[in-house]
Amino acid sequence: MEDFIIQDCTLLSRTSNVPPAINLRELRDRIATCRQDVLYHHFCETPLVPCFDNPDYRNDFAVWALLQVGDRVLAERLGIINPYLYTDLEKLREQVLEILDERLSEVHFVPSCLHGSEFFFSEAVTVVFDTGLRVTSPPELPEAIGRMTNGSIYYHFLESRRREPVGVDDFSAWLACFPGHEDWCQSLQSVDFSFFTLSELRDELVRTLQTGGAS
Amino acid sequence: MTKLLSTYEGLVSTTVISQLRQLGLRLAGKKVVHVNSTREGGGVAEILEWMVPLMQDVGLDVQWEVIEGNADFFDVTKKFHNGLQGFPVTINSREWQTYRGLNEENAVRLRPILEDADLVVIHDPQPAALLGLCPNRKGKWIWRAHIDVSRPARAVWQGLKPFVSGYDASIFSMCQFAQPLPHPQFLIPPSIDPLSQKNMDLAPEEIAAVRHQYNLDPKKPLLVQISRFDRFKDPLGVIAAYQLVRKVQPVQLVLAGGGATDDPEGQKVLEEVLEAANGDPDIHVLLLPSDAHRTINALQRLADIVIQKSTREGFGLTVTEGLWKGKPVIGGDTGGIRLQLINYHTGFLVNTPEGAAHRIRFLLHHKGLRNKMGVKAREFVRENFLHTRQLREYLTLFHILNSQQEASTIYI
Repeated sequence: MEDFIIQDCTLLSRTSNVPPAINLRELRDRIATCRQDVLYHHFCETPLVPCFDNPDYRNDFAVWALLQVGDRVLAERLGIINPYLYTDLEKLREQVLEILDERLSEVHFVPSCLHGSEFFFSEAVTVVFDTGLRVTSPPELPEAIGRMTNGSIYYHFLESRRREPVGVDDFSAWLACFPGHEDWCQSLQSVDFSFFTLSELRDELVRTLQTGGAS
Repeated sequence: MTKLLSTYEGLVSTTVISQLRQLGLRLAGKKVVHVNSTREGGGVAEILEWMVPLMQDVGLDVQWEVIEGNADFFDVTKKFHNGLQGFPVTINSREWQTYRGLNEENAVRLRPILEDADLVVIHDPQPAALLGLCPNRKGKWIWRAHIDVSRPARAVWQGLKPFVSGYDASIFSMCQFAQPLPHPQFLIPPSIDPLSQKNMDLAPEEIAAVRHQYNLDPKKPLLVQISRFDRFKDPLGVIAAYQLVRKVQPVQLVLAGGGATDDPEGQKVLEEVLEAANGDPDIHVLLLPSDAHRTINALQRLADIVIQKSTREGFGLTVTEGLWKGKPVIGGDTGGIRLQLINYHTGFLVNTPEGAAHRIRFLLHHKGLRNKMGVKAREFVRENFLHTRQLREYLTLFHILNSQQEASTIYI
């Protein structure tokens, strides 16, 4: 069996060339044409962006709809989207546009935000590096996770779902190579990561492995 | 005092420190030069004072150079500063020549260092023209804009843009502050130093001494706004809010700031504040010297609620400092305060004295929630707004530029 290679990553946000949106119509039109990196950033990379909130919703569009536009219906519909269920970002874009079009057809005027609260589209560059640390056997994993940075947790538990094998976190994928650890895999896969900050998620993963049972 | 990364252990986790060392290890020996316009005083010098030694500590070969200017040059760059922040100023051709000329003089001295560097970070507009004066540069050049240039005086931006367009990248504090440029524009919010005099833990005796020094009543809830006496900080609005609260319950207010004596506008605002206070013994207007960091620290720690009721603000680091002291903050709904204050989580955004008064009363009433919000606020600052995060983002940027890759994920 191969060792688990602990990677780490850091993220740096950058502006996109997409103009800010002040209302839902503009949001819809910008999302229709923005680069996939922009979409990915606002849906998936939010846990790594410095912020002061642990918001109700994990994608920036839902948060903006709730806090700046005051459209709770739209926020709820956008907020439930799990971006990791979409292997193709174009499918995710289609789903978001479908929701926005539906909402625009329901309202009597185009919901807008105040000047100064526009939605700013951004994207990010992620730098990934090998920490040099290795986990050689499953019993070592909980302690190793407990020592990981937020970047490592993001890379191995969230970002990993977009890599092969798609939809699976790196820890589960590695544990699957060791017979007798099906319970751990199942426990990890049942963690609803949406409502955790990365440091909370690290603690939750450790707790899950410590209580989730393994042979 | 030069601080090393190890001094932050205990305030941030060891994994944060080891991540920074890993990032530094892969840049070890890279020659980095920071250039700004002053060694002492001002926000940029404060940043470089900590950033340079920490970058050296993680293995980079870092130098800090300061351009030399004269009164005419700094008059022009002061106009840049005001113009870039949206004030209508005119810069004539002689002044542009002064700007170019001083940069040319500095380039004679700095050219060998800058052309040899792997990474050059030019801070703010003053030294921005150096790029075009170093034709044999081998490294990557970054322009760091510390100010909000989102709505600049058009003529000033049109004049400055040719000097900054040629950089390999620029950095802005928030996407709201940026301007379109023909290179990648990265976003690095500011941060606070948890070990500085303004933010470090203080002994209870020292805090009590400040309470005693300024005659603050330990039995009355305390509201504190720390900021210079400036209309955009709305000190009169804070007094109006205090007066609305006082009708319902006893409360005391500290308005503390400095720098008004040599600023005619500031002096005028201070006089208006004193007039509005009208001798109320529970309003404490404190004109503090510029180095009264520990006093400010103690006042924020004494506060039940920190206020920053600005009507216009940059990032608003005084809000971050208040949150770091574990206090919920009531702030004006503007600029970077909007990013920091999330209603019911870290504080409240308000638009009027009435709104501020309502939220003050709400927080004074809900002591449990106030304490809970304070704990949460401090943890958000710990995770995201200490110097260690800003250092990590600079190192990440250096890796991005060093990699020569255009991809959104870079493996190093």
